[in-house]
Amino acid sequence: MDRTASRRSFLAAGLALPAVASASRPQNPALPVPRPLSVPETGPGFQYRTLGKTGLRVTTVGMGCMITSDGSVVERAADLGITYFDTARGYQQGNNERMVGAALKRRRKQVVLSTKTEARDKADALAQIDTSLKELGTDYVDIWYLHGRTRAADITDDLIEAQQMAKQAGKIRFAGVSTHGGQPELIPFLARHEKIDVILTAYNFTMEPVMTAVIEQAAKAGKGVVAMKVMAGGPGRGGRGRGRGGANPNAGKLAQPGAMAAVLRWVTRNPHVATTVPSMTDMDQLADNIKAGTQTYGADDEKLLALHREWLRPSYCNMCGQCDGSCRNGLPVADVLRFVTYAEGYGQFALGRERFQELGVELAAVRCGDCPGCTVTCPHGVRVVDRLTRAQELFAC
Amino acid sequence: MLRLLCGLGLASVVLASAAATPAPLCTLVPGWTPTGAPRTYTADNLFEYMDGNSEGYLRYHFQEMRGVTCRQGGVTFVIDISDMEDSALAYGLFTTNRDLRHPQYAVGMGGQIVPRRLIFAKGQYYVEIAADPEGDYTAALQTWAAALVKLVPGDASVPAEFSWFRQDKLESLRLVPESVLGLRILQRGYLAQYDFGKAFVVPEESPEAAAAVMAQWKARLGATIPANLGDEAFQAADDYLGKLLVFRKGRYLAGYAISSAGADAAALCSELAGKIR
Repeated sequence: MDRTASRRSFLAAGLALPAVASASRPQNPALPVPRPLSVPETGPGFQYRTLGKTGLRVTTVGMGCMITSDGSVVERAADLGITYFDTARGYQQGNNERMVGAALKRRRKQVVLSTKTEARDKADALAQIDTSLKELGTDYVDIWYLHGRTRAADITDDLIEAQQMAKQAGKIRFAGVSTHGGQPELIPFLARHEKIDVILTAYNFTMEPVMTAVIEQAAKAGKGVVAMKVMAGGPGRGGRGRGRGGANPNAGKLAQPGAMAAVLRWVTRNPHVATTVPSMTDMDQLADNIKAGTQTYGADDEKLLALHREWLRPSYCNMCGQCDGSCRNGLPVADVLRFVTYAEGYGQFALGRERFQELGVELAAVRCGDCPGCTVTCPHGVRVVDRLTRAQELFAC
Repeated sequence: MLRLLCGLGLASVVLASAAATPAPLCTLVPGWTPTGAPRTYTADNLFEYMDGNSEGYLRYHFQEMRGVTCRQGGVTFVIDISDMEDSALAYGLFTTNRDLRHPQYAVGMGGQIVPRRLIFAKGQYYVEIAADPEGDYTAALQTWAAALVKLVPGDASVPAEFSWFRQDKLESLRLVPESVLGLRILQRGYLAQYDFGKAFVVPEESPEAAAAVMAQWKARLGATIPANLGDEAFQAADDYLGKLLVFRKGRYLAGYAISSAGADAAALCSELAGKIR
């Protein structure tokens, strides 16, 4: 896929957005003011962690504002004590930044606010941070991410310079990179990068163990780690949208009350993840997520997620690498399985295809169906031949 | 659904689709040539095209997208037409994405051109062009708008609900596809933002369904005071929405959430009620 010619590259091009929320509050309410929704009254309260070497203290449950339906939800989240809020220049064609900025106006100094740029060069990036600050109604953002990068080559010196210039100008406090794919290679690179302070990465219970390992590596290098896509695609959107949840026979179970809380708690229990940014559409979801974030991951949670993992087992490679070197045709089996995971697990078809084609003509031409008998076995029960064949169907064109 | 990845690059094709989404062609405007293969995406794989931004389309009931990338000299136009199921949703997505600081452009039900982008809605379709590199492509986008609006079928009239809201001090008016006012019980509705607060209209399937939702809302708020408007009405105050005056007229729940002093909620609601048909 020619990513330079995709809409993904143009999402922030040109349109800024209408105001969609008023953060102002009633001056003289004539009636007693009830709480709009009950909130957890008991429990251990929010958990706080430090975001790497930034020193920022954040609640383990933050707020992803991308699909939040109304600014009142953001405002209430801040009132209830959530301290981390995430938006991006490209969300809702820029509309989202304005809503979030208006909603957080009263509490700007008390919260950590991040936004992102999809710019591909310094000039565009610097123009975008100015637009973001204007739309957010603030003088600075705490973290400014390069948005949606998948490989080290995406982190150009030009863009790093833009982040450093913005930092020196006081427009941002810390520089970050967000990534939806390619993390096994990209996160170690970012962990070593001295100019990167924070990493925002997709991370959920379906991504063990490689992701857990690279996140630990990044945290130990002093990077702040923020997790997104923590709900693993959720229980499915009635068949709409990608992700393993869509055709999952356990989707019903994951849709049960409390199941998504278990998914969130699985992430927040990792001490190397400072905070998370689950999308919160409305007040109900906000209450659910806060409740989840104040409870401890327990045996019931593990039981529920184990069911889901069992469903994934035949198709999900945990990247242990024990199959390496066992293909008589020389296929790097674990790598090819990872490419399929990019496409079918993380929704990164283009990335999977690109990596597959980088194997070279000879390996890309291998067809498992032509082989008289497979020499590869997986000790974890992955149907390796099926997955390799799937990769060849998807990518070897 | 049959995926034909090899022949279509990253695209997939839906054979079962009854009314095919119109496919844009570079030849619609002389001087433009295609680059790469045409693309088709469904709700199942839109994520592959735009990552998490696909959520914004799915919330508006995105069905299918057909697109093409065209070049002229060093300029690239990424052109996509999305089927949004019905005209209210297509126009609703437009209302969410338009920039009120810029004027609308008269095309389809409503459109807008800014230097690097064209968007418009017509019938059940949402059309967009994104241009690269940096520059002002207004003239070329106008030409493309004229060509694409002929290609896209459907009515060019704006859904009636959008005309029910007063224009004075209106900052934005949009269709919220779920959780109107941040409340899950208000599943889909129209929301107007004013400098003094918000107005909303939430259609339900029937008067009985609307009455049930209204009862839920009242229970959630706790302290409410009955009001005399429409079929039933109440007043309440909310920490975040402000002073509420909510009424039901037939299958519609509607009202105002006033966040600053001086606005007369009763008069505003009475005016709104008079327009709901």
